[in-house]
Amino acid sequence: MPVNELLAIAMFASFMVLVFTGFPVAWVLGGLAVAFSALAIIADADFGARIGVDWAYASLSVERIYNVMENWVMVALPMFIFMGLLLDRSGIAADLMTNFSRLFGRVRGGLAIAVTLIGLLLAATTGIIGASVVLLALLGLPVMLREGYDPRLAAGTICAVGTLGILIPPSIMLVLMADRMAMSVGDLFLGALFPGLLLGGLYIAFLVMVGWLRPAAAPAAHAGGDIDLMVVLGLLRAIVAPASLILAVLGSIFFGLATPTEAAGVGAFGALLLAALNRKLSGAVLRDVLRETTKTTAFIFAILLGATAFSLVLRGLGGDDLIKGVLLGLPFGANGILLCILLATFVLGFFLDWIELTLIILPLVSPVVIGLGFDPVWFTILFAVSLQTSFLTPPVGFAIFYLKGVAPPSIDTGVIYQGVVPFIALQLIGLGIVYAWPDLVTWLPARAYQVH
Amino acid sequence: MQLPTTAASRAIDGFIRRIGDAIAWVWLVLLAVIVCNVVARYAFDEGRIEFEELQWHLYSIGMLLGLAYCYVADEHIRVDALSERFSPRLRAWIELYGSVLLLLPFIALIVIFGIPFVARSFQVDEVSVSPGGLPLRWLIKAVLPLGFLLLGAAVVARLLRVWALLFPRHSADRDAG
Repeated sequence: MPVNELLAIAMFASFMVLVFTGFPVAWVLGGLAVAFSALAIIADADFGARIGVDWAYASLSVERIYNVMENWVMVALPMFIFMGLLLDRSGIAADLMTNFSRLFGRVRGGLAIAVTLIGLLLAATTGIIGASVVLLALLGLPVMLREGYDPRLAAGTICAVGTLGILIPPSIMLVLMADRMAMSVGDLFLGALFPGLLLGGLYIAFLVMVGWLRPAAAPAAHAGGDIDLMVVLGLLRAIVAPASLILAVLGSIFFGLATPTEAAGVGAFGALLLAALNRKLSGAVLRDVLRETTKTTAFIFAILLGATAFSLVLRGLGGDDLIKGVLLGLPFGANGILLCILLATFVLGFFLDWIELTLIILPLVSPVVIGLGFDPVWFTILFAVSLQTSFLTPPVGFAIFYLKGVAPPSIDTGVIYQGVVPFIALQLIGLGIVYAWPDLVTWLPARAYQVH
Repeated sequence: MQLPTTAASRAIDGFIRRIGDAIAWVWLVLLAVIVCNVVARYAFDEGRIEFEELQWHLYSIGMLLGLAYCYVADEHIRVDALSERFSPRLRAWIELYGSVLLLLPFIALIVIFGIPFVARSFQVDEVSVSPGGLPLRWLIKAVLPLGFLLLGAAVVARLLRVWALLFPRHSADRDAG
């Protein structure tokens, strides 16, 4: 095996090992870029390896990072983060919970369905998993436990629904994926919409079934009066504001009225208005949200900058060709290779965050998949659903950690692990449906082009 | 990770926190610029290229100067599934070696090659290639090494604290943090 390929494998292996020391991922990536540039230079100078990676090549990192800076699409990211963080503080979710549980609470499984619907609405505004899971847990968990829900069902519902935020547009993950794949953000947003709703629908169908087959696990709530017109009106009033915000953001992208960046800015402005209308907007809240936005933006982009340098050097070492050779050398057909990639993504997601997988793995595998003739948008959405599923899988499911952080002591890790199992099964069913029926992804973006 | 602080680390961290607190408002300015540009495009039918460029200028400033701010708050993503079971001393050693062997070299790469990158832009008096775009391109390019220099300062502050934990006798001015 040539020296450069050995170095490429060593570079990737070093990443997988060093990341588990707990040192920040971004700096492991950036540091390995420098270290392996040095190793390549030594190999060239002292062993005549002729890899061609030198400091002039490594210094291209600066130009690449500048390309990230001047990328106008990236401006959407901090705006979506700000919008999500502010909406979480705006009291909208609490209003929704009160009204949804009045309407659905008296049906078996109704409270869990209410949580799912709120989660879907939140998913269409935030896309920040940690924030969604925490908010849903604080709002929904005490109510469900008080009404005698099986703690496993309650915990599983919250974890699963909380992760939908990363898939359902507008999603910061999809913005990053679009950037790495040189695709249109709008196409990915529209492509992810139906798969996201499909998963939400599967959750609700499952909850209805549990309520029907095992009433003790999801009993009808005692609290609340009869359902009358006032209840329905109250719910409509609570829904109308967030729903119109979501429609404005996604609709303006669908009809080509605004770029994703503009839609993000206008959505953030809408979130400010909503918070102000709900009398939740104070100087202190605004200051906190702005500071959180700065930190969240910084940690995502830190990994992006580190990954930019890492990918540059890995490519210089021939890592791209190596991966391509391995994948194409698999003894399966095109579909088999695709399934292997999705499986590997799912497994890597046990340990790594979506940011690393999107920035390191996706750019490595996507040229192979597209070369095999698969639709890029469809593949990216499959990749996204696999990643979203991996948030639910022990041992390192991030949604599980976030829930554990805010749940009462009676909800221990074992309860959560058991609770997420049926939802992982639902995710795999959803993934299978999207795989078997690509129109679910490709139909809406195609419609949008006809509308333009 | 619980680390003791030193007088120097507190001064550096405090300085970076104040900068970050101020920089956080850039997102509100960015929001206003985007909304104004959208309104201008639809109401007066003239989207302005300088407004679009201003947007990525503002985002770059917030993102790059936020790196050190996020670092001081210790919110950069770590995979801590294993490391949360490590002893504080082991974690401090990891922080020490990681900073010296990985993070500081990365910062050096960006700063060493970033400064000539800015200097070239300054020498040729680079401006936007778009008609009506913003001038003084070197100024926004300079934010890249600046952000990493600030991050470097934050790393020095963290290393002082790691050192104080690992070698308490040698740090005369330590106190509980």
